[in-house]
Amino acid sequence: MDLSLLPQAIVSGVLASGLYALVSVGLALAIGVIGIVNFAHGEFFMVGAFLAYQLFVSFGFDPLLSLLFVAPALAVIGALIYLSSIRFVLRAPELNQMLLTFGIGIILQNLALLIWGGDPRTIANVPYRSLGFQVAGVSIGAVPLGSFVISLLLVAGLYWMLASTPLGRAMRAVAQNRIGAGLVGLEVDRVYLVAFALSALLAGLGGVMIGVIQSPTPTVGLGFTLKAFAIVVLAGLGNIRGIVGAALTVALAESLVATLVPNGDALRNMVFFAIIFVVLVWRSRRVA
Amino acid sequence: MRGLTRDLVATAAFAVLLVFLPSVLREVFGRASVSYLSLATNALVLAVLALSWDMLARTGQLSLAHAAFTGAGAYTVAVLFKLTGAPLWLGIPLGGLVAAVLALGLGSVTLRLFGIYFAIATLAFTEVLKAAVQRLPTAVAGGAAGINVPALFRPTFVAGSMERWEVAFLRNQGYFWVYAGLLVVAVVISVLIQRSRLRAAFTAVRTNEQVAGVMGVNPARMKLLAFVLSSFVAGLLGAVEAHRLGSVSPDGAFSVHTTVLALVTPIFGGLYTTLGPILGATVLAGIEETLKRTFSEGYLIGYGIVLVASILFMPRGLVGLASKLVKRGGASTSGRVGGASGGAADAAAEERA
Repeated sequence: MDLSLLPQAIVSGVLASGLYALVSVGLALAIGVIGIVNFAHGEFFMVGAFLAYQLFVSFGFDPLLSLLFVAPALAVIGALIYLSSIRFVLRAPELNQMLLTFGIGIILQNLALLIWGGDPRTIANVPYRSLGFQVAGVSIGAVPLGSFVISLLLVAGLYWMLASTPLGRAMRAVAQNRIGAGLVGLEVDRVYLVAFALSALLAGLGGVMIGVIQSPTPTVGLGFTLKAFAIVVLAGLGNIRGIVGAALTVALAESLVATLVPNGDALRNMVFFAIIFVVLVWRSRRVA
Repeated sequence: MRGLTRDLVATAAFAVLLVFLPSVLREVFGRASVSYLSLATNALVLAVLALSWDMLARTGQLSLAHAAFTGAGAYTVAVLFKLTGAPLWLGIPLGGLVAAVLALGLGSVTLRLFGIYFAIATLAFTEVLKAAVQRLPTAVAGGAAGINVPALFRPTFVAGSMERWEVAFLRNQGYFWVYAGLLVVAVVISVLIQRSRLRAAFTAVRTNEQVAGVMGVNPARMKLLAFVLSSFVAGLLGAVEAHRLGSVSPDGAFSVHTTVLALVTPIFGGLYTTLGPILGATVLAGIEETLKRTFSEGYLIGYGIVLVASILFMPRGLVGLASKLVKRGGASTSGRVGGASGGAADAAAEERA
């Protein structure tokens, strides 16, 4: 164990946590407001990354510019998926909902494989890709820092929206009591539609940023679904406020293990899944 | 008990059919029978996978860990032959046993997890197991690259008395028979469950665990029993697959695809039945073969579409659809027609027709 790497590991973990929070907060929104545990959530992320890639290749769009196009595109995709399938299983058993979204995820992933193939895609030649600076021996890349700031702004925007706009109030009302919200005149179905579209939009924006940070393949989606699950589970299902803290915890754990444990890079994913497994099992025992 | 006898006779007839199928294919199609036989073998693999998953689902445990158990079976075989000179056929039963023991462990810690929580925990378990196998010493488990596994059948070419393609045919025939035997084992286990008091117990646990407890069913014992039986079959399957494919690797052996196939097939065919998974596997294996020839990547999209369409339009699967048609023809009671809001998960709370 090399402790001199500790500051770098902490900074990397903190920077990664912004993106994780962004992806998870969308999933938590779908779970909290609509009550749908969306196994296709990570695929929205993947779709966002590949749309940004395509915009870059076809039109030379800078990823920052792509954010403006990917956001409405993902909102439309999310809305279409809600209207064509999710809407019909709202009152079905939880497992049918889960399997349905699992199927949607398989479709999205394989559609992407058909379009883009299985090779990793890189948005190269972005001027700020290799920019960075050093602070007290810790190097900070411009891209991770930028994605951290953008993610936090988006998450903060969502929190503000939920806390102090009529739409946010409607979402919280529906989340608390679906029937009661309908009785006082809220159009519950429309609130669900907006929440699901918003959830897809947030994930898609995260995807654009990961498209710049990494070189994603169409199969990255499930991994991010699981990471988002780990964070949502840690925060408590449906708890949107706890997401930031949980994302920070998980991202730090991942970064510390990857840096400090010898040959720890392969253990990265294991940390996530071990957290999900242990937290779920531990909570189920404690309740008993 | 008459129902049991009838089912076992039907199973025996089915088994006889499977024994003669390769010879029939060979007579009818000649050289082309090699690929038909491998298609039929894929259907058998899918049927065993689906049926073993369905047994577990009957207790309400919708597992996303099926790849963990086929993978455990595969790795048992691979490690056994890498480290020892054990007899060739020993690996398969051992693979089943290892998977069953693993299931006992996982099943005991997840007893109190329900529905979605159970599903997520089992998926996480699979990923942890995959990472753990990858981290085992390379001398034992081969690391990320994997291990080679000896073939079960090595037919030799005898010049003059046979043609070239017949070597491939004999090899395929061998595996076909092994999988046919495996399917018969799975069907017999499934039939024994369905035609005994276990069926009522499993259904009670799935529908309402508290009530099941009050009625004198031990939910924990039933859930573990289903887990062990299901995983034993899955482990056997994974072990034979390791022999057939000739090598194992962490990504291949613990692939999410296996889990997807294991759950889509019974949902498409008809959950909580013996016939449903087999029927679903036959149709899906055909669809997959067609898609695979058209697209090199992304052919799994067919499974996604089938899964979504099944849940939205056919929550009781092919078997449910068939029995609904039969009922309509016989002008019998209507029952609850499975609409979009019905659901695969609780569909078989009703009796089979």
